[in-house]
Amino acid sequence: MSDQSIFLTGATGAVGGDLLRTLATRSGLRVNVLVRRTDRSPCDRIKAILGDLDVTAKINVVEGDISCGSALGVDGDSLATLRRETTHIIHAAGTTSFTLPLAAARAANVDGTRNVLDFAGSCGSLESGAFLSTVYVSGKRRGIFAEWEYGDRGEGFINSYEQSKAEMEAVVRDAMCELPLSLVRLSTVVGDSATGRVSGFNTIHHAIRLLYNGLAPMIPGDPAEPVDIVSSDFVSAAVLHLVENAEPGVFHLAAGRDSSSTLEDLIGETVSALTQFRPAWRKRAVERPLIVDLDTYELFVRSVEETGNEVLKGATRSIRTFAYQLAHPKVFVTNRAAAILDGSGIAPQRSSEFYPRVVRYCLESNWGTRPC
Amino acid sequence: MIPQPVAGIQSIAEYLPARVATVGELHDRGLLSGSPETLRSFGFETVHLAGGESNIDMAIAAAQRLLDESDVDRDEIGMILYAAALNSSSTLWDGNGGSPNGSVLQLDSVPDLFKYPASVLQTELDLPNASVIGINQIGCASIFAALRMGRALIVAEDDLKAVLCVSADKFPAGRHRDLAYNLVSDGACATLVRRGGARNRIVACTQITKGALWDSENIENEIIAAYFPTATALIERTLAKAGLEMDDISLVIPHNVSLRSWEILGRLIGCPPERIYTDNIAKVGHTIASDNLLNLHRATEVGRIEKGDYLLLFTFGYGSNWACMIVQH
Repeated sequence: MSDQSIFLTGATGAVGGDLLRTLATRSGLRVNVLVRRTDRSPCDRIKAILGDLDVTAKINVVEGDISCGSALGVDGDSLATLRRETTHIIHAAGTTSFTLPLAAARAANVDGTRNVLDFAGSCGSLESGAFLSTVYVSGKRRGIFAEWEYGDRGEGFINSYEQSKAEMEAVVRDAMCELPLSLVRLSTVVGDSATGRVSGFNTIHHAIRLLYNGLAPMIPGDPAEPVDIVSSDFVSAAVLHLVENAEPGVFHLAAGRDSSSTLEDLIGETVSALTQFRPAWRKRAVERPLIVDLDTYELFVRSVEETGNEVLKGATRSIRTFAYQLAHPKVFVTNRAAAILDGSGIAPQRSSEFYPRVVRYCLESNWGTRPC
Repeated sequence: MIPQPVAGIQSIAEYLPARVATVGELHDRGLLSGSPETLRSFGFETVHLAGGESNIDMAIAAAQRLLDESDVDRDEIGMILYAAALNSSSTLWDGNGGSPNGSVLQLDSVPDLFKYPASVLQTELDLPNASVIGINQIGCASIFAALRMGRALIVAEDDLKAVLCVSADKFPAGRHRDLAYNLVSDGACATLVRRGGARNRIVACTQITKGALWDSENIENEIIAAYFPTATALIERTLAKAGLEMDDISLVIPHNVSLRSWEILGRLIGCPPERIYTDNIAKVGHTIASDNLLNLHRATEVGRIEKGDYLLLFTFGYGSNWACMIVQH
């Protein structure tokens, strides 16, 4: 990719940030990073993400916003340059909030993607584009979910994030007829496999915190079903490899059944890691959360809501946003991605091997509130 | 074949104050911190309120009734285990009422600190052969500890034929009566654990203490969150200890906490609602340590229990303590 020019959106997000950090160490590569202005300048935001990394790629920060039409809010001269030189697009921008109203989730994930697709259509040198999605576009479906399949098959969605991403995929699929694009569906990204570093704390990390604080009495699910989580370094490496090598198509970056722990084992691994890395926690004698059927969990949640107890309501709501997926277990088939990645040395690690490091990072960084 | 009994719960008597108050009345009198609608939704309707009676008055009333109704020879009772859930119940505090049997406890009065209800109980009941032991600091699980110790003492001491176990608790007047979404009632229970007693043979006793959860005021949320997983683990452990499965249990004898919590716990332990005896939750409320014996007594009276039935008793006490017991009727 050394003579290529990558256009990256979503670099200030968790996955996009990891991708940027990976791209930044590739000598000779040019990376144009689209960043919104907030109370901080786009350059400052990117500098914060790169930190003390030894940057060898040429990073160019472009101020813009995917919600601002097909020009993406980029000024005229810069836009013309981007359209001329962009060879690869990685679209990682969007919202990953599970609790937004559907309209707001659509605005971020569907409308924004349309604008990026319009931009992609105007790039004369485009060789490939990877549009990041989620394996949870499968919604409430249970069982096997293959890469060639689309959507919830009428079963519905757990939250607005899933639905908006499924709708985003429909928009991308239409564009795939004319553009060399890939849909890359990610499993739940939990942290770096070597260091445990977490770029963005998500519902899994919040659930670990609730367990640590003794506020997670039960979660819905099947103890024997796998919980699919992947490391951020696997995802970054695999996305870049797919962008560089893939034929257009749909790919799952997921652990699959073989590399996943069951829900029961994952809870056990969490408790073991908390005990190992914070020995004093044992004194708190926190019982493992019970794995219960969805009806029982609903009854518990309803009861907590009736009590009006804000702390417990917050805890159950936090678990509820993702844990309902655990009650709709599924296995993500990764054949296409595995075929492309074969021989590259890039493969999902067994979650039991790296997940404890993520738990340790949560503890040591106090869930991102202190330097680690 | 039913094993030879070591000790059994032979007779039970209860005492509930005559004064009854509805949830609405408690709310109107400022005796609830939470919503009356939530308490009603959780299955509570009325509670019993002690007026002039202190905890020791109620204890004596329940124990006297037991002795009157039982065929036991008073001289056979070699031990009184007086179980107090509230710290105040292990004193001769009058509960802001005024008691003929007690005195007002003054913490700055050294003599008052050496006045114990168990001794008053022994002399008032005229049980000269009974030595006394007070059991407290395990909240609503205190009567379970008394039953467990009574059985253990009978096993350990050849000459001990019968142990009188008594619990009595009076909630402080004028205080909120809803605790952790449960409604507290005043009351007392007494029972006899007798050597060789075939009725309600004590099969297995277990208890989990989580000392980290001692501060019931400041970590109430953690205690509530710990309740279900710990209860489930303990009940499973008790069944295993008894060599039984949930399907072998004819009836669960609960503590009178919210009906909703028993609905949830029933699902967790695989016990259908019809096998949990919740008939007294609405009208009696949570009598702190006396619930399970009161419910065992009433379930027997109304014919819900047959000879040979396995019964599972479970309770939770602040401290935090989870206690479980299996008996065979």
